[in-house]
Amino acid sequence: MKTIEVTSKRGPLGAMAQLLGAARKPSGPVTELPQITYVLPRTSLDSEHLEKYRAICGFSAQQGVPLIYPQMLTFPLMMQFMASRYCPWPAMGTVHLANRIEQREALHAGDELRVELTTGELYAHDKGQVYTLELRILRDDKPVWLATQGLLRVGVKAPAGPAWASSLAADAPLSRQADFEAPSDIGRRYGRVSGDINPIHLSALSARLLGFRRAIAHGMWTKARALAALLPGHPVAAATVAVEFKTPLLLPATASLWVARQERDVQFEVRDGEGQKPHLRGQLHIGDPSP
Amino acid sequence: MTAIQRVAILGGNRIPFARSNTAYAQASNQQMLTATLQGLVDRFDLHGERLGDVAGGAVMKHSRDFNLVRESVLSTTLSRETPAFDLQQACGTGLEACMVVANKIALGHIDCGIAGGVDTTSDAPIGVNEKMRRILLEAASAKTTGKRLSALSRLRPGMLVTPALPRNGEPRTGLSMGEHAELMASEWAIAREDQDQLALQSHLNFARAYDEGFFTDLMTPFNGISRDNNLRADLTIEKLRTLKPVFDKKVAPERGTLTAGNSTPLTDGASAVLLASEAWAKARKLPVLAYLTFSEVAAVDFFDKKEGLLMAPAYAVPRMLARAGLALQDFDYYEIHEAFAAQVLCTLSAWEDKAFCKERLGLARPLGGIDRSRLNINGSSLAAGHPFAATGGRIVATLAKLLAHKGAGRGLISICAAGGQGVVAILEK
Repeated sequence: MKTIEVTSKRGPLGAMAQLLGAARKPSGPVTELPQITYVLPRTSLDSEHLEKYRAICGFSAQQGVPLIYPQMLTFPLMMQFMASRYCPWPAMGTVHLANRIEQREALHAGDELRVELTTGELYAHDKGQVYTLELRILRDDKPVWLATQGLLRVGVKAPAGPAWASSLAADAPLSRQADFEAPSDIGRRYGRVSGDINPIHLSALSARLLGFRRAIAHGMWTKARALAALLPGHPVAAATVAVEFKTPLLLPATASLWVARQERDVQFEVRDGEGQKPHLRGQLHIGDPSP
Repeated sequence: MTAIQRVAILGGNRIPFARSNTAYAQASNQQMLTATLQGLVDRFDLHGERLGDVAGGAVMKHSRDFNLVRESVLSTTLSRETPAFDLQQACGTGLEACMVVANKIALGHIDCGIAGGVDTTSDAPIGVNEKMRRILLEAASAKTTGKRLSALSRLRPGMLVTPALPRNGEPRTGLSMGEHAELMASEWAIAREDQDQLALQSHLNFARAYDEGFFTDLMTPFNGISRDNNLRADLTIEKLRTLKPVFDKKVAPERGTLTAGNSTPLTDGASAVLLASEAWAKARKLPVLAYLTFSEVAAVDFFDKKEGLLMAPAYAVPRMLARAGLALQDFDYYEIHEAFAAQVLCTLSAWEDKAFCKERLGLARPLGGIDRSRLNINGSSLAAGHPFAATGGRIVATLAKLLAHKGAGRGLISICAAGGQGVVAILEK
C-alpha cells in the first residue's frame, strides 16, 4: 500500500482547476482500485470554520461538533486523490451515491487530529460502477471518526466487482416532520465553506453547462440540513448515520423531511415539497453501533 | 338536612359539532345552546316543566352573554320559572356543570336539573383595540362636549384594523395550548406515530358508533347538519403521516410531533345532560342510564414547577380513585378527552411511570396501564371536534349510554383544561 502525505492545503480554486484538468480520463470499467492512502498528519478543528458550517446547515451551538462536520477535514485529501492518477475516473461526472459516518467519540473545537483517506472497494451498480473511499480521523492515534464514501461512475458498461447493495433498512413508515428551504445561493455558500466549488452547485448557468437544468444542492449539505433537525439539541458522543443520495435537489427548493423514530434509531428521507420524490434516504443511530 | 341521594343521568343531547367557520359560522352561543336544550326538552317531554336548575357556560363569550344560560332557557319551552346560571372552567366547563348540578341533587337541594356547555370560535368576541377602548370610555364619561371631542380626536384609523382578538393561549406563559402539549409530548417522549394511531382510532371508533346508530338519540340536527363535520370516516394512517407538525416553531423547531390530525380543531357546538334524583326519574318513568358517583378537580403549577399544562387529570384521577377505593384497572370504559392525542398518551404514560407516581403523586406503586381497547371506544374529541365547554356534556352522555347498554359497569372520565386544571368523574350503573 502506497502512502502519500499531504502537507500543504491547496486552495479550493487550485484543487478544482486540477480536477477539471483531470477530466480527460478513460471512462470504461475498472477491474482493480489502486490501494493507496492519503494522510494529513496534523490538522486542527477550527472553531471559526465550524461556526460558519453550523450557520449554513442549521445546526445550533448546543449541538456541539455535529457528527457530519468532520467530513470537512477530509476534503483536501479527497481533492488530491480525485485529481491524481490513482482515481479511476474523472471527478466531473462521478456522482456521490452514498455516505456512511460512524463517530466513536465526540470531537471538539481545537482538537488536533490526523486525517486519512484510503481507497476501498469496487462494486457493480445498475447504472455504472461504484468505488468506495474510507475516511478516518484519529485523535491521539485513536480512530474517533470513520466514514465511507460511495461514488458512482454513471454509464460504465459491464462493471466489475460484487453488486452494490443498499445498507439501509426502509421498512418503517415515515411521517412528515418539517419543511426546509434550500435557497438558490446555498450551493455557493456551502461551496465557500466546504471548498467543494463544483460548478454544478454554483449557479444555474454553470450547472447547465454540465447538463443540469438548475444548480443542485450539495448532497452533504442536504444531509447536514436533515441532521440539524434529527440530532438531539446537545452534543452526541457515539453515533452512526448512513445516507444514500437518490435524486438531485434542484435549487431553489422547498424540501420536506420525513421521519420515523424508534428509541435511538431514526429512519429519514428528504423529499421534494410535495413529499413524493425522495432526494436522500438515511438512517441515524444514536449511541454505539448496534450489533 | 336530607340524606345524600344517588344522582341519575337520564340522557343527553347535543347539536352536531362543526369545525370553526363552517356550518355554524353565523350561529351564536345562545342559538346553539337553545337548540340543544330544546332538543333535550323535546326528547324527555319537559315542556312547561320547572326544573331545579340549569347550569352551563361557554369559554368564549361575548360580554352581552353575561346571562347566557338563563337567556337560552327563556328561549326554550321549559317553564320560565326554571332558574339558570353561567359557570366557566375552560374545557372543564361541561363536566364541572354536571358536577355542580349533581351535587345539588345529591344534597336534595333540587331533584332535577340540566348541565350544559356551548362554544363558538367562529362567532368569537372581538374587542376593540385597547387604546381605542380607553378613549371611548373616556369620551363616554366626559362631562362636557369639549372634553368628549378632545378624547375622540385621539382616535386613529389604525385602531380599527388592530382589534383585540381572542387568543387560544395561556396568559401566564404566552404559549398556545398546542405548544404546551408539544412540550409535554417531548418530556414524555411520545412518538408521532403513536399520536397518529390514536387519532386514527378515534375517527374509526366514532364512525363505527355512527354506523351503529349510537348517536341517534343523543343529537338534534342544527343549521342543516346532522353529523359532526370533523369526522373523517375514510381517514388513513398514511394521510395522517403526511401532515406537518404545527406547534413546534417556538418550542421545538423541526422536532414537533403534534399535527392538525392528532390535535383537536377549533370547533363550534353545544351539549346538555339531564340529571335527576331516582325518585324524580321514577315518577316520570324515565330509565336511568347511569349514576354520577365521584368527581374531583385538580390543578398543577405549570409555571414555577414547570408541570405539564395539561397534566392535572393525572393528579385528579388517583385522588378520586383513593376516595372511591378503586384501582385504575377497575373500569369498563375510559373516556379521556382527546384535546391532543399527546395529552392522552402523556397521561397514560405518567400513570405507568414509577418515578412520576412516587415523586409527584406520592403513591407507593404506579397506577399502572389500562386496557386500551376500553379507551374512548366510541371515539372522542379528535374525531368529534372540541367546542371547549360542550365536550364535557358530550362525554357524560356517551359514557352514560355505554353503561346503560352494558347493563352494569363503571366508567372513568378525564378532562384537561386551560390554566393547568383537570376535571374528572366516575359514572356507574
